[in-house]
Amino acid sequence: MRAMLMRTCLSDVMAPSVWRATRTVLERAGVEVSVPRRQTCCGQPGWSSGHPDQARRVARTALAAFAGDDPVVVPSGSCAAMVRHGYPELFAGQPEEEAALAMAGRTREFTQFLAEHGLDTGARGSGSATYHDSCHMLRLLGERESGRAALRAVEGVELREMEATDVCCGFGGTFSVNFPEVSGRLGEEKARHAAATGADELIACDLSCLMHIAGRARRTGVPLRVRHIAEVLAG
Amino acid sequence: MSGRRPVVYSDTTAPLRERTREALADDALAANLRAAGASWGAARTRISAENPFAEMRARAREIRRGDIGDLPELLARLEERVTAAGGVVTRAADADAACRYITDLAAARGATLVAKSKSMATEEIKLNEAIEESGLRVVETDLGEWILQLAGQHPSHIVAPAVHLNKEQVRQVLMAESGWELPTDREALVAHARTRLREVFASADIGISGVNFGVAETGTICVVENEGNARLVTALPRIHVAVMGMERVVRDWDEAAHILQILPMAAIGDDAAGYVNLITGPRAPGEADGPEELHLVILDGGRSALLGTDLEEALDCIRCGACLYSCPMWRSVGGQAYGSPYSGPIGSVLTPLLEGMEGERSSELPFMSSLCGSCHDACPVGIPLHDLLVRVRARVTTTAHRRDRARFRLWSRAWSNPAAYRLSVAMARIGLRLAGRRGWARRLPGPGAEWTSQRDLPTRWPPTPPR
Amino acid sequence: MAPDTAALSEGLLAALARRRATGAVVDAAGAAAAAAARAAEWGVERALLADDPVLGDLGVGGRLAGDGCEVLVWPDGRGRGWRELLGLEGPELTMGVTVPRLGVAERGTLVLETGPGHGRSIDVVSMYHLAVLPASRLRATLAEALVETYARDGRAPSAVSLVSAPSRTSDIEKISTLGAHGAKGLHVLVVEDR
Repeated sequence: MRAMLMRTCLSDVMAPSVWRATRTVLERAGVEVSVPRRQTCCGQPGWSSGHPDQARRVARTALAAFAGDDPVVVPSGSCAAMVRHGYPELFAGQPEEEAALAMAGRTREFTQFLAEHGLDTGARGSGSATYHDSCHMLRLLGERESGRAALRAVEGVELREMEATDVCCGFGGTFSVNFPEVSGRLGEEKARHAAATGADELIACDLSCLMHIAGRARRTGVPLRVRHIAEVLAG
Repeated sequence: MSGRRPVVYSDTTAPLRERTREALADDALAANLRAAGASWGAARTRISAENPFAEMRARAREIRRGDIGDLPELLARLEERVTAAGGVVTRAADADAACRYITDLAAARGATLVAKSKSMATEEIKLNEAIEESGLRVVETDLGEWILQLAGQHPSHIVAPAVHLNKEQVRQVLMAESGWELPTDREALVAHARTRLREVFASADIGISGVNFGVAETGTICVVENEGNARLVTALPRIHVAVMGMERVVRDWDEAAHILQILPMAAIGDDAAGYVNLITGPRAPGEADGPEELHLVILDGGRSALLGTDLEEALDCIRCGACLYSCPMWRSVGGQAYGSPYSGPIGSVLTPLLEGMEGERSSELPFMSSLCGSCHDACPVGIPLHDLLVRVRARVTTTAHRRDRARFRLWSRAWSNPAAYRLSVAMARIGLRLAGRRGWARRLPGPGAEWTSQRDLPTRWPPTPPR
Repeated sequence: MAPDTAALSEGLLAALARRRATGAVVDAAGAAAAAAARAAEWGVERALLADDPVLGDLGVGGRLAGDGCEVLVWPDGRGRGWRELLGLEGPELTMGVTVPRLGVAERGTLVLETGPGHGRSIDVVSMYHLAVLPASRLRATLAEALVETYARDGRAPSAVSLVSAPSRTSDIEKISTLGAHGAKGLHVLVVEDR
């Protein structure tokens, strides 16, 4: 099986280890992974900030970079939701509408892709983890299971549920800098819920939430380790 | 628990962000909101489990989409049937027209006291201010609304207006009004209010209510409530004026029955409202109570401009307040910080649409959301509020938003070019390395400053674990 | 009572009980006594009755008066003026007695229809509300009841009140408190048909 990997801009800038881990896991599971060189960003920052024309311009590069019939795999629920949920609206009535709908149809968040194809990651670990539902994964993709299933499949890792797992961590893209105090309050609550499980690590399918929760945890003195799910699966 | 006079957050002269800061600093407010959110959540979970909520929601969405699709026709039918039943219908293009109609009517009838039951439409048009300016006394009779009127505040929640206040704060307000010493006992406070407001019902000349729905089929106005004040307001005074947003129409009784059942489920986590008052015209011949005159004011106020646009679904709203309770941002700062009669997700969508995209509140409210989508989950008529928020953001025309767009234009130029993208990523990574100490940045310059105002930034990944 | 009627009245009373209303199924011979017992429990000093043949047939007014309760009948009772009916003057422990046009089993709702003999304010001006519902008036769903209420020739009733609970408010700390403006107690007597 072949797949194209969307690295995501956030992983490119903040944590290349995340997209590399994603590639490792997919390859170990027998997927032939290509990482299109001309990819940039899915366009979500512009879209959700109320600048659709600018977002479309960036999103066109994604349409071009990921052209073809192969599935597109993204280690981010939020970017996957942008393509699957946002592109049909962003490109409605545009010349690229058909291409956008096609890409939306074959784009999957990383753990959804694993679940859909029953891929065995063969991952091993130790200790305990708690799982954060990112909102776009949970509500825009309607996916509550695949991340948890992937974690449960890691031999030696115990999954512990935290309280209020369906409540937003407060990141919200530019919301985090437009209303940093509200965002910070919510991030702190999330960090405390995660820490209260006593789990060794907080795991999520979205780097953005983790960056925010970890940063707020450190600022407010909540002891918390975070990792992206791909890093856990890559071992 | 603090006994001081509650802070008024509705001062919109300060930027929204400052108001959110002020709200976050109020520990009593946080406790009140936490308790209210938890209580609503528990009731909502129970009621959703006891009822086929998902199917009811799908049907409600279908009903509202259909009603809004046929709005002009349904409104015309409603108007015709209300008139046939002996009511007087007036269409008000805006707040001024609606207020003027009502104050002129009051003057013509020589009214001096107006009793009101809860109505968001009258909050929207600032009717109380208009009535008071014309020299009349107006008294809110919903307990929460009355408390806020006495405290000089505006509602913080569509359904539970005074939810941001605790018992002790309420007691202070009621003691200031009556000059009586009152115990900090919920039942005693409610009984006290009952007596005080009965004086108002006994002598009011005009009763003003909102309208949850108009039923086009028979020209019937539905007023949903739990306290009984709306019945008193619509049954005792000589004149009843009902103020209705133009979108609040349903086709027939089959639809009305469905909406009347899902509304309280979403609003209060109960499967029925205590009272639903169904009013068709003024009192009939031979009847000994009910108003002699019924006036229905149908308010446009910017609504008709949404018909046929990709923002039309905002008109599906049945004002249950579920999206407010479900919203993590609303639960953090409360409704008063929004500085608009409509707070929370639906308020952030409606306020700019009703007030215009160039307003200060329009440039701020739609952005007070992480777009987490919990509002959509909570909405009993399935409005995709997170999508509407994005669409409203795109329409804002303030200077601040235009400046933001200029920045995003630069972004789109760079990031639509793979080479320029790679260069900017490489530069960002160098910057990150320079900013970090032991894997973390505590203070960033420029655009990163707001990030680090509240959080550290991990400059290595996975982040260096805490010591 | 027919089995389906029994199920409907059970549904109505169970749903109302969840909202802190009370009620019972009684036979016609026992209805007046049940009404009087409830009035005594509430300590009612004055009752305001709808002018409805159902109450006359059951002898509710006579029994209440015999027990020493002042009995007013709508619309004559309206002559007392709002201050008295609202309990601002005279007795405060008052009871409105209504005869719903219909009762809805699913989710528990009474459908009160206004008419010359049945004031729309009887239940809410009073401290307590006693509803006397003939069992034959039970319907399964709200949609059914509303469609029936409004599906008739000529003018629709000027006012219909759906009552599903005692008067309540959650405006103080989201905790439900009874007796906000209307009746703080609601009792429903479902009367088996003779």
